[in-house]
Amino acid sequence: MATVVTETRRGAAVPACLFAWMLPGAGHLYLRRTAKGLLFLGAIGTLFVLGVAMDARLQMSLGLDDILASLFSLAQMAIGIPYFAARALGFEAGQVTSVTHEYGNTFTAVGGLLNILVILDAYDTAVGRKP
Amino acid sequence: MRSHLLVLLTFSALVSAVFAMLLRDDNEGRLRFALMAFGAFVLSAAVVGWIMHPFPN
Repeated sequence: MATVVTETRRGAAVPACLFAWMLPGAGHLYLRRTAKGLLFLGAIGTLFVLGVAMDARLQMSLGLDDILASLFSLAQMAIGIPYFAARALGFEAGQVTSVTHEYGNTFTAVGGLLNILVILDAYDTAVGRKP
Repeated sequence: MRSHLLVLLTFSALVSAVFAMLLRDDNEGRLRFALMAFGAFVLSAAVVGWIMHPFPN
């Protein structure tokens, strides 16, 4: 007899959030919300990839000397492993003279910000607040 | 991707899809929300662009 897993476990919240941060949608896949997970992976992943392709700047800027640059970096880092992988692959600097540079910045930062919402949604799902 | 319109449409579609999935729990509600959000993104960008048209610099 097939069983449908609908129960939630409080203990699943931490790994779900961790997976959700590492890869968009992975937290929902871990919680067996496959459709949600795949959509988040596809949509946010596409946002990030297009952003990098549009010459976004991925330089890490953390500190209090330039608050806006720090917030921008934090937003990009919220997308998890793809951010660090893109940096490791040499897409760190972007190209400020590119026509699409600012579009790329927007795509990557919004992708990260959306992933923060996805992490919170994974937490709510794990603790049973959402189906 | 150098077309401003294509960038706008792509961005709007992707962000609308994520918001719809986050904020609605049934498929019909998601579809309706995604279409509304997509339309709002595109329309608001067109309106703001029209308002800014006299000020190119």
